[in-house]
Amino acid sequence: MLRRYILALVLLFAQPIGANAQTLQDILQTHQEEVLKPGRRTVGVVLDDLVASGLPQAVPFLEAWRDREIVQRESDGLFFAVAEDGDTVALRDLDTNEVQTTAPDTALTEARPNGGVRRAIGDALVQFQLSDPDIEKRQAAVNAIARSMDASQLAPLQASIEAESDAALLAQKERLVGMLNASFADSTQDRIAAIEALSGDLSVDVRAVMNTILATSAHVALTVPDGANVAQILDVGTDLTPAEAYDRLVAAELAPPLVPKSAIREALIANISDGSVGGVAVAELNTDAARETAYDALAAAGSVEPRVTTQAQADAVAAHIFYLSYDEPDPSITDVTRTALTAIETKVGLSQTVDLGLDALSLASIYFLAAIGLAITFGVMGVINMAHGEFIMMGAYTGFVVQQFVPDYTLSIIIALPLAFAITFGAGVAMERLVIRHLYHRPLETLLATFGISIALQQLAKNIFGTQARPLTSPEWLDGALVFNDVIAISYIRIAIFVLALIFLALILYVLKRTRLGLEVRAVTQNPGMAASMGINPDRINMLTFGLGSGIAGIAGVAIGLYAKVTSEMGADYIVQSFMTVVVGGVGNVWGTLAGASLIGFLQKGIEWLNPSNTLAAQTYMILFIILFIQFRPKGIVALKGRAAAD
Amino acid sequence: MKLKTSALALTALLGTTAIAAAECADPIKVGVLHSLSGTMAISETTLKDTMELLIENQNAAGGLLDCEIEAVVVDPASDWPLFAEKARELLTVSEVDVIFGSWTSVSRKSALPVLEELNGLMFYPVQYEGEESSKNVFYTGAAPNQQAIPATDYFLEELGVEKFALLGTDYVYPRTTNNILEAYLQNNGIAAEDIFVNYTPFGHSDWATIVADVVALGADGKQVGVISTINGDANIGFYKELAAAGISADDIPVVAFSVGEEELSGLDTSDLVGHLAAWNYFQSAESELNDEWVAAWKAKMGEERVTNDPMEAHFIGFNMWVNAVTEAGTTDVDAVREAMYGQEFPNLTGGTAVMLPNHHLAKPVLIGEITADGQFDIISQTAEVPGDAWTDYLPESAILVSDWQELGCGMYNTETETCVQLTSNY
Amino acid sequence: MMQRSFLAQNPSVLWFISILAVFTVIVTLLSEVTGVDMISTSFVKTLGKTLCLCLVAIAMDVVWGYCGILSLGHFAFFGIGGYAIGMWLMYARTEGIVLESLAGQPIPATPAEISDAIGNQIFGVVGSSDFPMIWAFADNLFLQLLMVVLVPGTLALVFGWLAFRSRVTGVYLSILTQAMTLALALYLFQNDSGLRGNNGLSGLQNIPGYEGVSQATLSIVFFIASAVALGAGYVFFAWIVSGKMGSVVKGIRDNEARVRFLGYHVESYKLFIFTTTAVVAGIAGALYYPQAGIINPGEIAPIASIYLAVWVAIGGRGRLYGAVIGAAFVSLLSSWFTGGGAPNINLGFYVIQWTDWWLVLLGFSFVVVTLFFPKGIGGLFDMLVRKQS
Repeated sequence: MLRRYILALVLLFAQPIGANAQTLQDILQTHQEEVLKPGRRTVGVVLDDLVASGLPQAVPFLEAWRDREIVQRESDGLFFAVAEDGDTVALRDLDTNEVQTTAPDTALTEARPNGGVRRAIGDALVQFQLSDPDIEKRQAAVNAIARSMDASQLAPLQASIEAESDAALLAQKERLVGMLNASFADSTQDRIAAIEALSGDLSVDVRAVMNTILATSAHVALTVPDGANVAQILDVGTDLTPAEAYDRLVAAELAPPLVPKSAIREALIANISDGSVGGVAVAELNTDAARETAYDALAAAGSVEPRVTTQAQADAVAAHIFYLSYDEPDPSITDVTRTALTAIETKVGLSQTVDLGLDALSLASIYFLAAIGLAITFGVMGVINMAHGEFIMMGAYTGFVVQQFVPDYTLSIIIALPLAFAITFGAGVAMERLVIRHLYHRPLETLLATFGISIALQQLAKNIFGTQARPLTSPEWLDGALVFNDVIAISYIRIAIFVLALIFLALILYVLKRTRLGLEVRAVTQNPGMAASMGINPDRINMLTFGLGSGIAGIAGVAIGLYAKVTSEMGADYIVQSFMTVVVGGVGNVWGTLAGASLIGFLQKGIEWLNPSNTLAAQTYMILFIILFIQFRPKGIVALKGRAAAD
Repeated sequence: MKLKTSALALTALLGTTAIAAAECADPIKVGVLHSLSGTMAISETTLKDTMELLIENQNAAGGLLDCEIEAVVVDPASDWPLFAEKARELLTVSEVDVIFGSWTSVSRKSALPVLEELNGLMFYPVQYEGEESSKNVFYTGAAPNQQAIPATDYFLEELGVEKFALLGTDYVYPRTTNNILEAYLQNNGIAAEDIFVNYTPFGHSDWATIVADVVALGADGKQVGVISTINGDANIGFYKELAAAGISADDIPVVAFSVGEEELSGLDTSDLVGHLAAWNYFQSAESELNDEWVAAWKAKMGEERVTNDPMEAHFIGFNMWVNAVTEAGTTDVDAVREAMYGQEFPNLTGGTAVMLPNHHLAKPVLIGEITADGQFDIISQTAEVPGDAWTDYLPESAILVSDWQELGCGMYNTETETCVQLTSNY
Repeated sequence: MMQRSFLAQNPSVLWFISILAVFTVIVTLLSEVTGVDMISTSFVKTLGKTLCLCLVAIAMDVVWGYCGILSLGHFAFFGIGGYAIGMWLMYARTEGIVLESLAGQPIPATPAEISDAIGNQIFGVVGSSDFPMIWAFADNLFLQLLMVVLVPGTLALVFGWLAFRSRVTGVYLSILTQAMTLALALYLFQNDSGLRGNNGLSGLQNIPGYEGVSQATLSIVFFIASAVALGAGYVFFAWIVSGKMGSVVKGIRDNEARVRFLGYHVESYKLFIFTTTAVVAGIAGALYYPQAGIINPGEIAPIASIYLAVWVAIGGRGRLYGAVIGAAFVSLLSSWFTGGGAPNINLGFYVIQWTDWWLVLLGFSFVVVTLFFPKGIGGLFDMLVRKQS
């Protein structure tokens, strides 16, 4: 299609513009329907005519059309560009480009080109935009070529390279020329050179180019014909089943089709006479064997097509060769491409592993953040806090509320993080003082009481914030992803969570190992009675530890809300996962939690990789693994030794 | 007829002509069976409010058969067995004349045996996977051929998509829809290896790997498109990850079947502009009836509230039921059912919805592009598509038809010319 | 004669059985079946289901209140029992429908065609038609009833053996049992699980072979069956916890190490209790789900098992009637509040709607009960009895 536009472009410069008396409006009027409600397959006519007309105003029209700024006045069907939107719309004449008239919103119909049409318009605009002074338009043109590569784009693209002033765009253009050359260059040498030049490139579009060159189609024949660029001879039994092979023979009309069971049944029904078919009584036709006997009898009598015997099927399959051949006839090109692609795919495979590793790391850091607060309260105090997930939720809602008052996303996050800590710290301390303090000798009952608090808090959140998920928007500098190469990328928000997890790891380690509070916490953990007799107040320590653990949950809530969603049930989503992280890692140890989170994160990604189409199965198997793991290491990865290990 | 019904609809909507209902010993009772608590409350509470608005308006317009309509609201609490229990309660204890309710397929299948046992009548307003036609249910939401198939056609025809990623939440609607779509795509010449299917749990939030997998699909030079049956708030994480990976609608378009105005209100849509959704209704539809409906809704619920597709389904369903009752002169289920066939009512999007003998509606299919303000820009609207209870694209279903008017059967095997069963397959 | 002495030692058992019997008779007399129709069929179903919940609560009480194992996975066994009976109910009902529709055919159907048609009907909703392995016995009521007992029993035996052998105790064991029920729920959620994914098994209230019998009658039959099961379960567990075995089990709860040093094989006792209660939970589930009509994976989510523990705690641990009171009280109260039965309270500036606030109330009442009434409602009875004596 583009070739015609190029031709038109040449014509445009060849003939004086005035020779064509047609106005843009005239052309549009002949294609009213296609302009107003264009479809990808129907828009070509309009584009052809517009380009062929050579009118200079066609280009701004196409741009406006693509950007949905074209309207039709319902009274007379004339098209205009929108100059100023509102209840009354200022309209710009398409030919004179002057703001001519206004019309009320209701008297106009907007032309709405869909995504496919916009792409077609973009393709048509390519030739005009490749050398446009506006860099954005040039970029748009390059993007359009990259999305739909075509032989006809090679020449104009090459022509535009010389004048390209922007370095980044120049690199893109050269890369595109390389890819186009690999597919469409005239001489074999040029193509091979282009392909070899691409061999280090991991990007999806380069692989797309190579895979297109290496596209194969399946054939079947008695012998492989001369001149076929064979990719692979298929071995029946390993590469395809005998049944598939026979189906291919049938499709190629090299063998008679099988008679399916339904056809046998229908043929039998059609031939019932006097309560029997082919010598078999109707009542006995309730097995496949009986039906086949009856059918064979009918076939012998010539009233139906005979069945293809298993032997005949096997013979037919054995007599033929099944093979794949490249659509590209030149073996030298396919050989070079295959070598290049194999090299690329090795690298891609490597990169994918690294990418998966990054995803796993990110997942592990999320689990770590969610679980570390629990590890402190559960590990240090032996208290099961089922409401831990609700503290995560409280943190996330704090973030949401802050964003309602502080519209600046960066500032709101800076405020939300400490505020979430403060609020959940307070909630944690309150819960410890009011409830948990009274239950220290009954650990299983803390589970119940905190569960009660958990469902009450969850329902309270629903009553206050509604059941709809609430947005917690990350600041702009956390948008997008850090791209290492075309395969390895990780979004900034996940990096931020990873960094946050690291900070908390360091912070907690510091508090526990280097401060007076940490010393006292460790003392209370190991032996509360002894610690108390050494002048440590276990009550105070317990209260602070619980507050700290809850506060961290609040911060984790902000982080999780940023990358996923804020709902009243988000805490429940993480609570079981968090418990497992703590239990697998080993209670009472920060490193254990880290190990647990890493194990679970990497394991989950590993299982997902093995079975990418079913994330649910991955979660199931992971939990089963954890159950088994605990059977063999009941105290977790990092087990406490000595007296502290006793229950 | 058409003029009359739309005039009726207008009065119903505006509720300006408040005629006091005449003395009526036994008010007409309408059961509302939508979850007001639990996970589905997000979606279903809106429908309860819709029903209350519709009933209010109808009462203001003079009620029905000279009686006030009374709404009996119960809360099945997103607990599927409770749908059966509450349906029984509505039909036997409250003795309602009709039930409007249910959202998920499993909740409908839970209530079905009770409805069929007690010969109740239910209007089900949500797009669903089809493969069912109960004598006691009118399906006012879209069957797959009224949503999924036209959207896929749009991908094939208009966007030239050659490779499909079918991403869904792991439950029945996505599973069945994707099965139908796989068969449909293969009929349309898309190779089986060019269809990538993935299922994730409800509320899934870790999308990085899946988005990377989808991007990698483009490696063989084919245009990739995503058909999403991802449900509920899992969409938030999915779209956030798409945006983070820098994927625009021009690179890899996504069409969603479960994302409407209500779902978008929990999201910053600036990164989603251009991605698509297919429904039978969008709030942005341009018609006078719709403007009035949206205004009435906002007046009742608040300016920031949006309307969506299942609400329109209840709007049409309720008004059709009112007209059918008026025609039949009674609320008796069998009489009303007979009167329902061929019942017409104007769509909010223009055109007329017709109730077919298979208990599904003929409705137009709309495809919209997400805009920055959380609404949809309608870029394609088909003529009315008759809803098909049994899909034509799966071999086991292609031979089945439903026709309660002529054949008196919801599961009629055209090959053997017998009725497979009179109850539905729950 | 041992039985008599056991009952004589435990007057509460006699009391319980008598009250249960009277209650059952009254409900039956007032139901639709006798024509009195003072208790609607839907309420009979609710009562029948509540009796099943009481049964599983007793099992939970034995394993937690007497043996000290806080299992957060006993509802999984309940669900498995429901699935096991559900498979037969679905299969048999569908088989009936299919055979009827195939009967009019010009030639008789082959076994493969019948099985295909049944599979298509059952698994059509999840886009499949093949019978998975686990449905192998679904056509046989007896074998499937055996599954109700065997599957939960085996699972509990294997899981318990692994866990108790490695001396996993206390909160670890609780988390582990929770992981087990979560894994099971996630597995069942998958459509490939062969049990119809999220949809689960439905239409279970229609009993194959009794299509003509009204739900009013069926609901009473199941109600009585549930009452009998509850009574039998109560006597059985009361007998277990009252003898020498009961003393050992209670000893394990109070100090496992000491019992072990006395020479008892603690693991065997725990395993016996864990497995027996799992089997009873399975039986309770098999009675519950035909009354509920549908079973799906959501039923065995971890939260369900936690509720079970809460019922027992509120009712009073370590006394069987406490579990019954807790389960009946909380579950009936729950349905009364969420069903819109409780009047809303208008505070002037705010209307308290119980559908929204019931869970908040329930949640905080757990806290109050654990803090101030560790013996639960059952503890109040104890106080009364003690005052009298």
